Amino acid sequence: MCVDDELLNTYLDDELQQPWKTQVQEHLGYCNACRQRLEQLRVLHQKVQDSVISDEEIKMHQDRVFAYFEKTRFPSANKKQHIFRKKIQVRLVPALITSAAAFVVVFIGAFVLFGTSVQQGQEILPGISAPIDSMHIRQVTDVQKPSLDMFSLEQIVQHLDALGYAVKLEVKAVTPLQ
Amino acid sequence: MEIQSNDERDFKQVYEQVFPILMRVVYHVTNNQDLAEEICQEAFIRFFDKGMSFATLDDAKYWLIRVSKNLAINQVKRKAREMNMVDKLKKYPTNHANNNDGSQVLIEKETRKLVQEAIDQLPQKFRLVIVMKEYTDMDYKQIAQVLHISESNVKVRVYRARKMLESILGQE
Repeated sequence: MCVDDELLNTYLDDELQQPWKTQVQEHLGYCNACRQRLEQLRVLHQKVQDSVISDEEIKMHQDRVFAYFEKTRFPSANKKQHIFRKKIQVRLVPALITSAAAFVVVFIGAFVLFGTSVQQGQEILPGISAPIDSMHIRQVTDVQKPSLDMFSLEQIVQHLDALGYAVKLEVKAVTPLQ
Repeated sequence: MEIQSNDERDFKQVYEQVFPILMRVVYHVTNNQDLAEEICQEAFIRFFDKGMSFATLDDAKYWLIRVSKNLAINQVKRKAREMNMVDKLKKYPTNHANNNDGSQVLIEKETRKLVQEAIDQLPQKFRLVIVMKEYTDMDYKQIAQVLHISESNVKVRVYRARKMLESILGQE
């Protein structure tokens, strides 16, 4: 008697227990029809398995969903990134300041060494080459900020009165004139 | 090795190993990659947010497959109508435009599509079992454990699903 499809499928999946497994194997040894049928089933099984979604496609979805989890469930990973960024900034800023300072030093040094004479200065930078002394410095503005010291007590009281305040003056301590 | 689902390291380990399996199962059950991605994401969200512990990685895997399988079945039911519409639109031009081009890639692509469409036609209980059998490394016993059915039931469903696939693909 030949092996039925159900048994052959189980055999194909290597799920057939002993002693049936050996019996089927023996039968397949001499039965051409069953061997052919098993081959057909194997081809079908292979065809279905080959139609699996590709690893690249899976990877794409996997990365996308993982990015979602990084964002919503593992904020610590994001924080680490921020700290890293800050470190870069902190390291970068002194470097920039140092190079700027070096540039200024070189610039001033060049003037100190080569560019101090008035004549030369006039040749190079005629607009700002006049030597700086008191003759050339003029006060541009003398506007002072108003302060209470500029007004007499009477003026202050009058002003407050005009604004509608009731002002009461009290002498707290009197030191006799000597 | 115990797995704590909301522990970052455990989660990443499970995710790395189980996501591809989940995606394979859900995609071949739903026949829609974007939908499958959504379902896998939802399953892992539940996995993480519930903060459960599992005795082994396999237990976590079975839990995830079970949840996503249920989500997939619900989604397939809900979206059946609109997906059929989309499928009809997708099918129409390709069925008429093949055969002339003999390139191997196209034939492979075409076979892939035919097989997936055949799987799509299977009744749900056979579809789930055959997809798990063919696209994961689980054996009958493990599939039985995930689906809460008996091992001999799995065996019969695999056999009947293959029989149906054979007749559907034989007609093409």
